[in-house]
Amino acid sequence: MPDFTLTAAPPLAGYDRSFGDIALKAPKDLAIVSIALPLGAEDAAKAAIKTAFGIALPEIGMSAVAKDKSTAIMRLAPDQAFVLFPSATPDAEPQIAAKLNGAAYTTDQTDGWCALEISGAGARRALERICPVDLHPDAFAVNAIARTVMEHMGAIVARTGEDTYLLLSASSSAKSFLHAVELSAKNVS
Amino acid sequence: MSQVNRIKGGLVDRSKSLDFTFNGKSMTGYAGDTLASALLANGQVLVGRSFKYHRPRGILTAGSEEPNALVQLRSGAAQEPNTRATMTELFDGLTATSQNHRGSLEFDLMAVTDLASPFLAAGFYYKTFMWPAAFWEKVYEPIIRASAGLGRLSMQDDPDTYDKGFLHCDLLVIGAGPSGLAAALAGARSGARVILADEDFAPGGRLNSETLEVDGMAGADWAAQAVAELAAMDNVRLMTRTSVYGAYDHGVYGALERCTDHLPGSGGKPRQVLWRIYSKRAVLAAGATERPIAFGNNDRPGIMMASAVRTYVNRFGVAPGKRVAVLTNNDDGWRTAQDLAAKGVEIAAIIDTRDRPAVCDVKGARHVRGAGVVDTAGRLALKRITLTDGQMIDVDCLAVSGGWNPTVHLTCHQRGRPVWNEDLSAFVPGKDLPQGMVVAGAANGNLTLAAALDEGRKAANAQIKDLGFTVSRKAAPKAEDEAYEGAPKWHIPSGKKRAWVDFQNDVTVKDVKLSHQEGFRSVEHLKRYTTTGMATDQGKTSNIPALAIMAECTGKTIPETGTTIFRPPYTPIPIGALAGRARGTDFRPYRLTPSHEWAKAHGATFVEVGNWLRAQWFVKGNEKGWRDSVDREVLNTRQSVGICDVTTLGKIDIQGKDAAEFLNKVYANGFAKLAVGRVRYGIMLREDGICYDDGTTARMGENHFVMTTTTANAVLVFRRMEFVRQCLFPDMDVHLISTTDAWAQFAVAGPNARKLLEKIVDADSQDMSNEGFPFMACGEVTVCGGTPARLFRISFSGELAYEVAVPARYGNSMMEALMKAGEEFGACPYGTEALGVMRIEKGHAAGNELDGRTTAHMLGMGRMVSSKKDCIGWTLSQRPEMMREDAEKLVGFRPVDRSQKLIAGSHFINKGDEATMANDQGWMTSVAWSPSLDHSVGLGFIKSGDTRMGEIVRAVSPVHDTEMEVEIVSAHFIDPEGERLRA
Repeated sequence: MPDFTLTAAPPLAGYDRSFGDIALKAPKDLAIVSIALPLGAEDAAKAAIKTAFGIALPEIGMSAVAKDKSTAIMRLAPDQAFVLFPSATPDAEPQIAAKLNGAAYTTDQTDGWCALEISGAGARRALERICPVDLHPDAFAVNAIARTVMEHMGAIVARTGEDTYLLLSASSSAKSFLHAVELSAKNVS
Repeated sequence: MSQVNRIKGGLVDRSKSLDFTFNGKSMTGYAGDTLASALLANGQVLVGRSFKYHRPRGILTAGSEEPNALVQLRSGAAQEPNTRATMTELFDGLTATSQNHRGSLEFDLMAVTDLASPFLAAGFYYKTFMWPAAFWEKVYEPIIRASAGLGRLSMQDDPDTYDKGFLHCDLLVIGAGPSGLAAALAGARSGARVILADEDFAPGGRLNSETLEVDGMAGADWAAQAVAELAAMDNVRLMTRTSVYGAYDHGVYGALERCTDHLPGSGGKPRQVLWRIYSKRAVLAAGATERPIAFGNNDRPGIMMASAVRTYVNRFGVAPGKRVAVLTNNDDGWRTAQDLAAKGVEIAAIIDTRDRPAVCDVKGARHVRGAGVVDTAGRLALKRITLTDGQMIDVDCLAVSGGWNPTVHLTCHQRGRPVWNEDLSAFVPGKDLPQGMVVAGAANGNLTLAAALDEGRKAANAQIKDLGFTVSRKAAPKAEDEAYEGAPKWHIPSGKKRAWVDFQNDVTVKDVKLSHQEGFRSVEHLKRYTTTGMATDQGKTSNIPALAIMAECTGKTIPETGTTIFRPPYTPIPIGALAGRARGTDFRPYRLTPSHEWAKAHGATFVEVGNWLRAQWFVKGNEKGWRDSVDREVLNTRQSVGICDVTTLGKIDIQGKDAAEFLNKVYANGFAKLAVGRVRYGIMLREDGICYDDGTTARMGENHFVMTTTTANAVLVFRRMEFVRQCLFPDMDVHLISTTDAWAQFAVAGPNARKLLEKIVDADSQDMSNEGFPFMACGEVTVCGGTPARLFRISFSGELAYEVAVPARYGNSMMEALMKAGEEFGACPYGTEALGVMRIEKGHAAGNELDGRTTAHMLGMGRMVSSKKDCIGWTLSQRPEMMREDAEKLVGFRPVDRSQKLIAGSHFINKGDEATMANDQGWMTSVAWSPSLDHSVGLGFIKSGDTRMGEIVRAVSPVHDTEMEVEIVSAHFIDPEGERLRA
């Protein structure tokens, strides 16, 4: 038994509120690991991803979800993707690294981001207030993702369902980000 | 007061009475009224005083071009000055007061200025308040400000909230009049995503104000039907009460939606929303503005635009007068007479400036051909008009039509210049429109109904066809074109009577002529000299008449004279709306360190560092001032151990087969041979050879490095490295990702640092001995029973020190654990001030020294710039001027009289020299009180400093008016041999 133990306190842990037809919550235990495709060995990396997760690396601006919904891969750039999966322990990166077996570079991003899931009929109406990206269903299909800026904060917006969006932003400014999203929901509900 | 002027008809809802007050008088109106129509219904003709002469003024128009009827709306903190009564939707409980008068509106004491008007012509201020210069700001300006101006601010915080947002569409239709509705219908029916925006609360534009028919039904009914069709479509966003105020690059438009201005309260929701609309295409259907004719005393309450009179009668069921005369230079003015006569209002006369037969029959009206009005009478309201032939007619309302100006404002927002149309005697949009915009209807000079409907539809069809949509085959709406011919008449010579051109700024024909006489030939100069076209109405009614009079003076045509163009915003936008939700603590995002909660609970004072809030110092016990805390933190750290959250330093994860080679390029010193498990300090140069950032990089694996940057440059370094990676060396296998927020990192410094960390770092994960983990070592460890962590043996303080990083979620807990583990050593937390003091004592450069002008040579790190390899900035760092022997070098300074405090920013002057720029030897960059040495210490740059140890120079601060003698010493005040950090 060590003399000291550490307790985890992610910035938005446990947040879950509703504003009219808009639900806003912080997903629990969402682990994020970035994958970088080695230059010249992209095909091998893609094959390793397919083997590891059962899904192909999606196109840039899209995400792909494993059949059992346990894992999603967001393709952010030609050589960069995020793997998102549930994990409560601080070993997300070794988990993914083991699956990829050296075919791609991995970096733990779990603690670098805060996540908010906004859903419901009014979700898009709320996001109109802070998200410059066109989220109209015709322009932003289910599983589409985009890097953008909301209220001066870098963010990723992902459409994870018909009326559900996952928002990621820097964990250090989580409180400002929550305020931005929450206020948007309040203002339109 | 009852609604004495309310007549039958109109689009107001008579089942909903609304009570309001004007200057404390209780009045009643109906839902669907504007404040202007309700005031007129209640017989309130006088609504304000003019800007300069405090002349009684009434309501001139029925739209956003209103120059006169500006009121203060609401009360208390919510009071809003300069609100146009014509744009204010009536609501129950509305309170409005008139503005710009001393005493009552009826007996304004400041009206004395009107008597002094011969002295108050254009340029009066420039000529009069010249001397003495000392009076400009202290005497003249307060007096002028007190007497001029319009409404008053409440001087309280705005109680309302505002928001902003982003919209996207295929087709933006600006204006919901006939052409706008036709355009929106065409666009929507094709399936395109359409936004239809109109500043009015009732879409329809002039269809609501006229008696014209569309598709065999009343125009207003057709508009309602069109709006219903649009409202039912998923691909249409109908935005009423929304002013599109600016056309920006790439089809982006700014729009202000007034969400709750028509309600008694905002109910906690944003009062207004400022939208940024991204459109693929746009149809500008902004309509046209009727312009006045200048004649003697043409500004009395009761003298109105003819179209506005028609609007009040037809749309609001209000007769602005009981006995009305019409002054017109065109056929359209006759329709006002017709419409009024049809509602039973007496038309005393139709005065047509053209000598031609009657346009139509108007029952009971006298037709005066080729004549005009030269004077009017009535102190607070119009009573009588005098015609050019001297005959006088008693009327209480004069409807004036001087023709129409297409509303071209938005076409000018990207420097587009309108062109003169001789047939219309008006400017119409030029060819160089904002990208993606077409203009339709009256805004494009097609003033008649059938033409406007047709052009709106065709314009939209052309736009959406271009975007690949299939045009709807639904038939175009049917209507007829009304008569609109006219002959320009800008002003009627009225002897010595003043004839107003710009009502809002009290500019008369005489002022325009005077401006010309005094040599202002350009329209831009005319505008600035007379102030015509400025303020809330932006000259919507005055610009063209002023220009025409100017043209007459110069003997040139109007197009030769030129025109001023418009810039955003089209109508006034409250500053609150521009600020949106960015207020108070949410003015901008803030970043918190992982141990923020702990710091807050332990007496931290926070300082903003970029967006970060960092603990600056921690107050303990009875400490009175910040120095007490900082001195204690420094001594405690140097004597035992201190802990500081250094998470804010930028962290960049660098991986790839070529990562080491990449670092060799971005750092001036070599990194390729850095061993795994070791850290190295590095400096980065800009392309021009100037040093721009420094930090340490740890080699965690063969192909894996973790870089730290300064807090301030975290983003800049990342961005530059991405540029280097993507653009300069695209063939390198190297990948970057920020991990700044991912790891909570703590500096643990002081002689007891190792002992403390031995209690935290799991013994089986790392040998903590000096041999097992020497200075500049790094490694992956576990802490507190298995939590993954990174450990670096680096020191900014100069002490035996480590930095330990854990996943950020454990940061607050880690701070607690470190403090608990440090209890037996008397560990203290320290903030950025102590951090700064210790780095100055140690002689480490920071932002003050890396100020964008300094080189490695100056910093004493010239030898670090490796000549064995190429790096960014190497070539230009080797320029002779950059390598001068007598360059300013970074050294330490201490006051000769140790009790004196050094001042940062002081310049060094050799003893005996005069303190001039020519004798400048360098400057002091950083100073601190060293509790370790018990005197002030400083760092600074001084010419050939490294060869001048022991020399005494003067540190001069002209700003503080001080100077003192200082001794040049080594920058390393503490442990110059570095024994502590290797201990």
